[in-house]
Order: sequence, then structure tokens, then C-alpha cells
Amino acid sequence: MIDFELQRKRSELYRNIRAFFESRGYLEVFTPCLSEYLIPEPTIKTFKTEFISEFSGRKELFLLPSPEYYMKRMISEGSGNIYQIARAYRNAEEKSNIHSVEFDILEYYTMDYSDSDTLYLTIEMIKDSRVSDRKWLRAEPVIMTMREALLKYCKVDLNEAQDISALRKEADRLGLSIYENESWEDTFNRIFLTFVEPNLPKERMVFITEYPRQIECLAKNYSDRPYKMRWEMYINSVEIANTYKEETDPEAMGKYFEKEQMSLEKERRESKDEISKADPEFPSLKMRECSGGAIGLDRLLMAEMGLESISPLLSFPISDILN
Amino acid sequence: MIKAGQIDKGSALLIKGQPFLVVEREFVNPGKGSAFVRLKLKSPSTGQTLQETIKSQDTVEDITIEDRDFQYLYNDGTNFSFMNTETYEQIEVPMKGYPDYELLMKEGETYRVTMWEDDVLDIQLPGKYVYVVAETEDAARGDTVQGVTKDAILETGLKIRVPGFIKQGEKVRVNTETKEYLERVNS
Repeated sequence: MIDFELQRKRSELYRNIRAFFESRGYLEVFTPCLSEYLIPEPTIKTFKTEFISEFSGRKELFLLPSPEYYMKRMISEGSGNIYQIARAYRNAEEKSNIHSVEFDILEYYTMDYSDSDTLYLTIEMIKDSRVSDRKWLRAEPVIMTMREALLKYCKVDLNEAQDISALRKEADRLGLSIYENESWEDTFNRIFLTFVEPNLPKERMVFITEYPRQIECLAKNYSDRPYKMRWEMYINSVEIANTYKEETDPEAMGKYFEKEQMSLEKERRESKDEISKADPEFPSLKMRECSGGAIGLDRLLMAEMGLESISPLLSFPISDILN
Repeated sequence: MIKAGQIDKGSALLIKGQPFLVVEREFVNPGKGSAFVRLKLKSPSTGQTLQETIKSQDTVEDITIEDRDFQYLYNDGTNFSFMNTETYEQIEVPMKGYPDYELLMKEGETYRVTMWEDDVLDIQLPGKYVYVVAETEDAARGDTVQGVTKDAILETGLKIRVPGFIKQGEKVRVNTETKEYLERVNS
């Protein structure tokens, strides 16, 4: 049964978000969901489809897992500040209350902003476009670095656990199982997911800043510490937003593409999935200095409505077909 | 071996050589990162709970468990004593892993016990269970209206709140998880 009151709330939220960005002069953009190329992300499984033509044959296309690819191409062509509410597709997301293989994403880029500027913009945007009066919307947000979070919740000092053997020792001390060939990133994620994420303060926005450099992404590195200019925002231990100070250096972008495409191909061969192609031109785009944020709108609305699942918000949950 | 992605609530796993029962299971996908399964596990031998997060693709050793009937005899404050109803063999189970079970189980009654080889992994209590009210004061006149509750001590010593109309010696059905009164049982 469709809950039309929740459908109305979603419509109201999107209208308010648009009004917020319009009033600040951002351009609303509309980019394709289909693409020949993807930004290589080995851990995100994608949907492959095919264009069929009687005359020119067939072409493999992918449904985008976020609008980042096209929005960054727009920025490189001089769009200025832009935002978009887009449908995103991620395959193989397990059955859970907070995942759907298709979902709505708000992505917004501000020229010359740092990730910390985007943090304050995000707080203002969420408060200004709110459609409920939940306690977390009024409560003072918590901002802490990832290092502070791990020190607080499991007494791991990330500065001292930069190599895999040191981190593995900490995982062992905390009682987690140890896998000999596990990457630093996976061990870190297991520590974070077990001891930090479930224990984050509730009923307020919690921003975790300065993500480890070992987790590859297109955010800039700090020059004086082993972290990236990246933050994530949580509400009631559910990840809602992810933001970078965007990488603009063609060499760093090229290295990311090469490394991540390689591990994507290895992963896809092992799992016997389609290998997507990375755009060879992308690293040399003339990226402007900017910061980009992404928010999962189904989860944001879920938190505003005080729900513990996104499914009441979906008109026809795709999980009904899949499970 | 079992793939972490296939673990479910109630699965029995061998972690670091110790048997554990899965109490909670949740799929988690960090924004950048692999898919993981976050587990809450219970060690039946010590009663300790363990948190563990495993990559969905990794494998874990799972164990085969079976249910057997045991008669609950008594407890000595540290252990519960049970007797296998087929072999009359007696076993002891540390009370630590089963908070308030001494107030929920009735001496002489038979319960299903989940076993892995000779280790007890779980004592199964019915979700709803009938008890005799051992002690409760008679309601004062006028206090039998709906919504008024009073203290009652059940045959096992469990203290709960019951409606004013419940009398000593009557039977009541209780939710064993929340320890809340559900209804009067007419015998």
C-alpha cells in the first residue's frame, strides 16, 4: 500500500531543497542515467544494459551509480555551482532496511569551497528544507575527525596504525577475527562498522571528517597528515551524506583511475561480473577547485519521518520483485 | 564453511575455536567499501556477547546443532542442572548466559536445549508461558476497574505487574522476553 502522506513529504522535501539551491544561485542540472563509462569503484556493483540498433549494432551501457561522472564533466566545461536530484543504481545491495538498488541522490558542487565549507552548507540546507520537526534537526551537530572517533569508541589511534600489521594488531586486541590477506581498508572498515558506527551519538547530525588516505577516492589528501579531505554525515548511525574536497590534479586522478580500474577488473573477474570501462579522458578534465556533496535522499527522508526503514517511502519497492 | 553473506539469525558459528550463536545479523555497505555482515554473537558457555563484522564474500566455519529435551532440575546460584530425558545423563549450564532464567523456568519441567556435540548452545523458552500466581494481594473494592495493576509473585519467584482482578492461585500467561502479563488463563 502506498502511503501518500509520505509521498507528499518527499515532494515537499525536494521542492524545499530546490528552493534552497535556487536562492543561492546554483544551477539545477539534468544528466543521463546511462553511460558508456564509469568512474572505477571496485566495491560498487553496477547494472549493465545494452543499446540495440538494426543498423549500427549493439553497444554496452551502464546505469550510473551516482551522477558524479557527468556532473564533473559539466564542471570542467565551466558550469559553476550546480546541483542535481538524480536516480542512482547500485547492483547487489543486500536486502536491508536502508538499501535499495535504485535510490534518489542529491549531489551538489560548490566552486572554490572546501569540504568544511560544504559541511556548514549541508547543515543549513538540511535545516532550511526540513519537512518535520525531529529532535535531531534542532540538536547541535557533532563534528569529529575519524581519528578522534576511533580513539573515543575503541581506543585505536589511527596515526599509530598506518600499516596493516599495526592495524591488524588492534583488530585482534578488539576481538575481531583476523584474515591474513585482508587489506588495510577492509580491516579498518570492520573496526569502524563494529565499534564506531553503531555507537555514534543518536538524535543529532554526526559529521566524521578526515577519512583515512588508504580508502581510495577522488578527494584531496592533506599534505601534513595521512588523511583525506572527506567527511561523512550520520543520523542515528545511518550514513546519510558523503563529501570531498575534489581532487583536481590530473596526475592524482590518473593514478586513481589506473589503480582502481585494475582492482575493479580483478574483482569482476573473480565474481564473474561485467567489467565496466573507465573514461580515459576523465583524469585530464580541467577540474575546477570545488567541493562536492552527495546525500541519500531516501535515508534523509527516513530520518526526518522518524522511520527505521526506507521502504514505506517507496511507491513500489523494487525489493518486492527481488525477494 | 559458510559464506558470511549467508549467515542468518540463529546460525551457529565457530569463531576462534569457540561456538557462538548469531543473535543479530545486519548487512552494511560503507559508502566506499565492500559489503559486510555485522553480527552480534552469544557464547553459550560464558554468556558473553561478541560483536563481529565480516566481509560478505569471506567464509566462516559453521557448525551443526541439534535440539534435545532436558528436564530442568534446580540451580545452585551458579549453574542450572538439567537431565537428559532419554539418557538420564545430567549436565550443568552456567547461569550467567541466561539472565533471569531461574525466574522463568519451572523445576521439573522439560525444555528444548540446543546442543553442539556436548556443548549447550541455548536453552529455549516458550515466548509465551503460563505460570501460577503464588502471591498477590486481593484488590481493594473498586480497584478492579480496567487499567489498575498490582504486584504479583509467580510460582517461580518472578515478580510482575498484573491487573487488579487477578487472584492468588490463578494462572496467567506471560511474555517471557518482556516479562509482561499477557492474559488470565482459565483452567
